[in-house]
Amino acid sequence: MSAISRSREKWVLLFPAILVLSLITVLPFLQTVWTSFTDAEITAREQQVNWIGLENYIWALTDPDFLEALGRTMYFTVVSVGLEGVLGIAVALLLNQKFRGRWFLRVIIILPWAVPTIVNAVAWRLIYHPDYGALNSLLLQLGFIDSYTSWLGDPDRALNMVILADVWKNFPLVAYIALAAMQTIPGDLLKAAAIEGAGAWKRFHSITLPWIIGPMLVVLILRTIEAFRVFDIIYVMTRGGPSDGTKTASFYVYQEYFSYLRSGSGASYAVVVAGISAVLILAYYAGIRRDQRGA
Amino acid sequence: MTNNLQKKERTAVSSNPILAVENLSKSYGDLRILKDVSVAIEAGDFLVLVGPSGCGKSTLLGCIGGLTEVTSGNIQIDGQDVTHTDPAKRDIAMVFQSYALFPNMSVGDNIGFGLEVRKVPKAERDKKISQVAELLKIEPLLDRAPAQLSGGQRQRVAMGRALVRDPKLFLFDEPLSNLDAKLRVTMRTEIKRLHQRLNASIIYVTHDQIEAMTLATKIVVMKDGVIQQVGTPREIYDTPANIFVADFMGSPAMNILVADVTMDGLMARIEIAREDGQEPLILYDPNPGEGIASRPAGALKIGLRPEALTDLGSRSVNAEQQFDCLLDVVEPAGSDTFAVIRLGGTEVTARMHGDVDVNSGDTVPICFDLSKISYFDPKSGERL
Amino acid sequence: MHRSLFASFALYSAALLLTLFTLAPLVWLVLMSISSPNDLTSVPLNWWPTEVDLSRYGHLVDLNNGAGHRFLAALRNSLLTAGGATLIALIVAVPAAYAFSRRGASLALLFVFLATIMMPPITYVLPLYEIFGGLGALNKTTTLIIVYSAMLLPFATWLMKSNIDVLPVEIEQAAFMEGASTAFTLRRVVLPLALPAIAATCMLSFLVAWDEFFYALIFTSDLSAKTLPVAIADFSAGRVTDYGVIASVGVLATLPPAILAICFQRFIVSGLAAGSVKG
Repeated sequence: MSAISRSREKWVLLFPAILVLSLITVLPFLQTVWTSFTDAEITAREQQVNWIGLENYIWALTDPDFLEALGRTMYFTVVSVGLEGVLGIAVALLLNQKFRGRWFLRVIIILPWAVPTIVNAVAWRLIYHPDYGALNSLLLQLGFIDSYTSWLGDPDRALNMVILADVWKNFPLVAYIALAAMQTIPGDLLKAAAIEGAGAWKRFHSITLPWIIGPMLVVLILRTIEAFRVFDIIYVMTRGGPSDGTKTASFYVYQEYFSYLRSGSGASYAVVVAGISAVLILAYYAGIRRDQRGA
Repeated sequence: MTNNLQKKERTAVSSNPILAVENLSKSYGDLRILKDVSVAIEAGDFLVLVGPSGCGKSTLLGCIGGLTEVTSGNIQIDGQDVTHTDPAKRDIAMVFQSYALFPNMSVGDNIGFGLEVRKVPKAERDKKISQVAELLKIEPLLDRAPAQLSGGQRQRVAMGRALVRDPKLFLFDEPLSNLDAKLRVTMRTEIKRLHQRLNASIIYVTHDQIEAMTLATKIVVMKDGVIQQVGTPREIYDTPANIFVADFMGSPAMNILVADVTMDGLMARIEIAREDGQEPLILYDPNPGEGIASRPAGALKIGLRPEALTDLGSRSVNAEQQFDCLLDVVEPAGSDTFAVIRLGGTEVTARMHGDVDVNSGDTVPICFDLSKISYFDPKSGERL
Repeated sequence: MHRSLFASFALYSAALLLTLFTLAPLVWLVLMSISSPNDLTSVPLNWWPTEVDLSRYGHLVDLNNGAGHRFLAALRNSLLTAGGATLIALIVAVPAAYAFSRRGASLALLFVFLATIMMPPITYVLPLYEIFGGLGALNKTTTLIIVYSAMLLPFATWLMKSNIDVLPVEIEQAAFMEGASTAFTLRRVVLPLALPAIAATCMLSFLVAWDEFFYALIFTSDLSAKTLPVAIADFSAGRVTDYGVIASVGVLATLPPAILAICFQRFIVSGLAAGSVKG
């Protein structure tokens, strides 16, 4: 095929995809950036929109509530992704051993992943229920607590309880990818190390971990990108409460838009969130390239 | 198809080449795969592109087929410039090394694919498919899936798909290299028979010099993206253009050795050193040709095919040029017996009678036939 | 290698613990859905139902019941939205994937595609909301389908691209050589060969759309377009006092993805691995 018709054809093939993505994501995003420099509000009537320069940003970056929400989001992200990483690798190590019933465990591990995010949030909300929740009942019956606790009622504890629910749903993905990476380790390598007298920890530390670190890095950054936008589980479990104890960045922007109807200042928050996400996304691509060079 | 008749007329009246490649170059970045390649064939030619892997022969085929964009130069098929034409519009067919059958279609649908694309009515399609199937003896396979076929059968289907459209030019990309040795010989004969019967114009890529010799009406030997020699199999075999061609074509390879060549009257006197204090070998070439006659005396490289070194009573030999030689290693190969002799600082192969009774370590008389000797420049390796 | 008794004990304990951790929340969700309201409100809980109560499921599939009406409407919307978006995403993604795989389209562009789904939706949802509002297209299944197809498209393109990459290119070349156009080759040769990949891509796309909550929350406002996740959030936030109802809705919403995940685990896991790790 000639060079000209080939490259023209390439664009014909790409056109629908580019059109859809431009209209639904790229152009709206640019609109958000533009709005962030204005005092626009969400109203039903015609409004005069004024260009106010960096005012929104100055406001956003000095708004302690927003900065706290950012900090909370990072806490949520780091802790849940960290736990998913540790738990995922531990589970993969377990599933990589030979034992009776392993197939069953390998199959059911996918179930938390399959549970819709909202159902997960609802289920855990019921489990944490202060009056009739399963967690209270279980801990009481086992003698760990003396009286029922309001797990999501304490601003300092609520976020951690949400993290637990998030980790339960998301560790399978990490575990499967860790397991897939471990299964590519040549058996002879580990056997040779064992014969050389390397103990289990030594084998994990000097063979398994370096082998799986590339894919793990990539999947954990991807999880970081997802965790950073956390919204659904917060919306259902706590609505950002109590006393803003679980109000994350996405939720904060959501409220600025749809509760306070300030689209200008909301947009500036959104752009800040986008900037942080962009850094994470670039880290993800760097991770992929690193992983491929290593492979 | 309807243009069959026109095509036959056209090729009959004109002597235009069916394919002309002019000054073709292909680079990937700094890597030059093809360097200024020009080649042309007449209708009915069976052109074989041969060379070691990486020589550019498959790239050249890809350019002719339109699968690879050319960097510079042009390609004409039947007088039409097709350098930038879609493969679909070049009126050519290709048989791929991997056969490239459509796994989701039956054998019949595979063969008829090109006709289906051209919206040939079903009845006519079926007729053509069964004609081709008959020609290739694959009628019972038409309803099967490619996965159910043996390698040889797939090969036939791939050829059937190419044949059914009666294109101007057939391209074969190492079509036999995935078959076992025995089947390869059978299919080779079959391809040759098809060519003779259909008088098709074929371009055929292979790295197997025996395939090249047996099939081609014209051989192009390539190395490092440059054409080394174009000629009939006989020309390539008897008068290789340089040491590379001499070495690459023929099995066992041509013996290349260093010799002192001086003119002795009209004859060339060729002195070849021997090891272990043995006297040098003195041979005479009665017809050395102008190139040698006019050259100052000195060291040259000479090329002798193994069959030019043979035992007494074998073929028609000039018994005068006969010397006792120590046989280093003897390798009986049934119809021939090959013997390795140390001559001119290297190992040379002699091709003796199959039933000759010799052993490694024997010293036996060897006759030298210099009627087809080749002389090469010791530096450039070019034929003199 | 033989394991010591202690190692075996540790191994099986860990396996048991993992099984409990994985299954307990799910089992409890199912138990809640079939326990009587009294069992669910006793302190401490009555773990095992005194009698199996399937009436909630009966109500949920009954159009004349209020909860059933809402549930079935949401189920219909979810099926339409996820199915429609998957279909559109695939139709758009396959040619794009082919351009990336075989026509030398720049991978940087593919990374831009992928970056659009990695950006938090909050960063562009408001302009979308205003545009759709201006067009009078809010609270419509069609609108959600369009937005979802943009959400599914990059991943579907990526997955299809990595699958087309490994198809033998000579088969397509043979088709071109036989005179076929790109469209014809795609339809007759590439798509049949990529069928397993298409099935896997469809399944994963469907699951992602089935799970989506954020856009649905913002773009829909009543039964005519609300999807299951939004309906479930409503159920759990609303006036329902019987937690068993919420649990049974949750169980029903989990069943389709759970069944797909169990049946096609190999597909899904390799798809996820390809989608997240391979570059």
